[in-house]
Amino acid sequence: MKRLSYLLAGILVTLMLAACSSDSNANSEAESESSGENTTSDTVETGSVDTSVEATGDEEVMLDFWIHQTGEDETNAYIELIDAFNKEHEDIHVNAEVIIDDGASAYSDSINAALVAGNLPDVMAVDGPYVSSFADAGVIQPIDDYVDEETKSQYVDSIIQQGTYNDKLYSLGAMEASVMLYYNKDLLDEAGIEPADSIEEAWTWDELMENSKKLTKEDRYGLNLFMNYGVGEWLTFMGAPLAWSNGGALISEDGTKVDGYLNSPETIEALNYVKELFAEGVVTDSPGEMQFEEGNAALALGGPWIAVSAEDAGLNWGMMPYPYKDEKVSPSGSMAYAVTNNTENPEAAVELMKWMTNEESTIKISKATGMPPAQKSAFENMEKFNELPWSVMKEQVLETAHARPATPAYPVLTDAFAQSFHAAALGEDVESVVEQQVQRVERELKRFEE
Amino acid sequence: MKGNSSSAKQLTDRDQYKAPSKPSIKKVPPKRKKRRKSQAFQEAVTGYFFLAPALILLGVFLLYPMGAAFYYSFTDFYILKPDDISFIGVENFSYIWQDAQFRQAFWNTVYFSVIVVPVQLAVALGLALLINKKLKFRVLFRTAFFSPVVMSLVVVSILWTFMYNPNEGLINQLLGIIGISPQPFLTSPDQAMNSIIVMSVWQGAGFQMMIFLAGLQNIPNHLYEAADIDGASNWQKFLHVTLPGLKNIALFIFITISIAAFKLLVQPMIMTQGGPLGSTNSLVYHIYETGFNYRDVGYASAMAVVFTLIVLTITIIQRMLIREERG
Repeated sequence: MKRLSYLLAGILVTLMLAACSSDSNANSEAESESSGENTTSDTVETGSVDTSVEATGDEEVMLDFWIHQTGEDETNAYIELIDAFNKEHEDIHVNAEVIIDDGASAYSDSINAALVAGNLPDVMAVDGPYVSSFADAGVIQPIDDYVDEETKSQYVDSIIQQGTYNDKLYSLGAMEASVMLYYNKDLLDEAGIEPADSIEEAWTWDELMENSKKLTKEDRYGLNLFMNYGVGEWLTFMGAPLAWSNGGALISEDGTKVDGYLNSPETIEALNYVKELFAEGVVTDSPGEMQFEEGNAALALGGPWIAVSAEDAGLNWGMMPYPYKDEKVSPSGSMAYAVTNNTENPEAAVELMKWMTNEESTIKISKATGMPPAQKSAFENMEKFNELPWSVMKEQVLETAHARPATPAYPVLTDAFAQSFHAAALGEDVESVVEQQVQRVERELKRFEE
Repeated sequence: MKGNSSSAKQLTDRDQYKAPSKPSIKKVPPKRKKRRKSQAFQEAVTGYFFLAPALILLGVFLLYPMGAAFYYSFTDFYILKPDDISFIGVENFSYIWQDAQFRQAFWNTVYFSVIVVPVQLAVALGLALLINKKLKFRVLFRTAFFSPVVMSLVVVSILWTFMYNPNEGLINQLLGIIGISPQPFLTSPDQAMNSIIVMSVWQGAGFQMMIFLAGLQNIPNHLYEAADIDGASNWQKFLHVTLPGLKNIALFIFITISIAAFKLLVQPMIMTQGGPLGSTNSLVYHIYETGFNYRDVGYASAMAVVFTLIVLTITIIQRMLIREERG
């Protein structure tokens, strides 16, 4: 009854505010799969999935599993994997439920509602940087007891890094993500600029600035930062490595303090670099959806999905590593799976997670989505990653990937950084904006002090 | 809109409350009083039975949540920890006054309302007058002006986001033809709110236009004929016949637009996410973000309570003004 009342309270805010859907913004993850156009005809609707393997009734363990849906190819791959799991395990049956993920709040709204109602599934997909806040609240549980060191070592480091909070492992992911500096080969040739083919040769900030200026023409921008995704997770995902590369940070290592980190001189300098890029006019704060693919920007700091859309557009494109200042770092993190505290069978739940993220599965999912796999061995077995341009992505995932900070205050922190980044892009005074945001995050952090 | 329809509902509810007890006891002869009483009781039961669905829905989806919001506004309810709620007094309310985002959202909302209400009222009246004339293609005009209302606000917002795009948007391409450089309609802090206002008026005015149109057609023709005989000009007819005839309707529209304007949510949520630099953040959107994205239901509830008080105050002031005008 008490649970019910919480649920109703949730409905309240929605009602009082005249509810509305938020299917507006393509964010990083959402964009990734929608770009895969060659989808099969059988659309997967949100809701429980008709898997072809029926429960026989003999299974000892039934697992509810929530997965996000951003694209059909991806969802179909998941369903095939779950089918295979059910076939393989006579004692476990998985009921999968697909929940739409629009890149904004649709998926997390579903989790929030289930959480207050006490209806969480056994296993659910969570976005990497949100793992720590769920872990801190005890919504998901540590899985160290079921995952040995050898299994752990098979995953790329950043996946374990994003799944770890307070030295305990909470999540395993099937795919990674990264941001590369895409380039239009024709335009670079024309300007006589040599691209960087490996992390070794990665451009510095100065090179990026200089070359972007050279590539900017009256009817064309030198660089695209996909500001059309809106002020959201993308800006943190894509932008935070600038701060890290300069020796700055968003928050202290233990995730409890932003004062002195988000407003450190190094982070401010990174944001001022962003400000300069915009002030020089080499990048715009409102690019068209296909600015890079249509050749209206020569360079682009974009996610793996840009490779897919650039290829589809018939562009002569290439990938360069993420530009650096002092340290070479690159964005990382994607959807992962975690076991909730609502499960009675954590062991079977982890079994499912391992299945969904094993080498075979990661290869399958990588092929369906264009995202890099989360297993080291998968890279070896997928030939495309051994040659240009994809080798750049592989190098980044294996060598320079840097997970976003693990803090329970992440939802507020990421917005604080995104707002600061955006303010820099609009030419505002970076220091005063950041200072304001620091106060906001500090207030949020007090909630978690104990 | 919503406030008005619910107040209408309360009215009918009240009437129905009275209805069962109406069969008056006066007429009943003393001897049969007892039997009559049980019949009256039965009728009352029947009455409540019919009322039940509405009352239950109202209770579960309106009254209970409102009460819960009021309660949560004094707690630190964090969505991820629904079992760990503690009472923190007025802390949430006192933070409202320090919350720069709330202040900004408040003034944005006030700015939006102050511009939208009179502009939308005037546009709606203008359109109504226009299509009330016996023009050619008048049905076509009427449909054209009304069609934005039929479309979902979400759809309209997405469409206008495309149209406002500086590089590829329709509006900027048209401006380009007459030699005006592309405008950052939604990406400049100075223009974003105004762009939303233009779109909102375009989307909303059609509905009020229909109401005005009904009002216009209710003004008896003989008044205009009498004015003609007195030699009144068109402007005088508008001023002394049309406007007084529309007064009550205009007041109704005024109140509904004001309340709707204060609830501004969909446009910033979809077109700008409250940006750039918070310049289109509205009160309701700020509450939504706080409660759902930042999971701080306690503080969001406190803001919702304050928001309700603000809207209530405005409505009461408006009602008082109306009553004076009637007297």
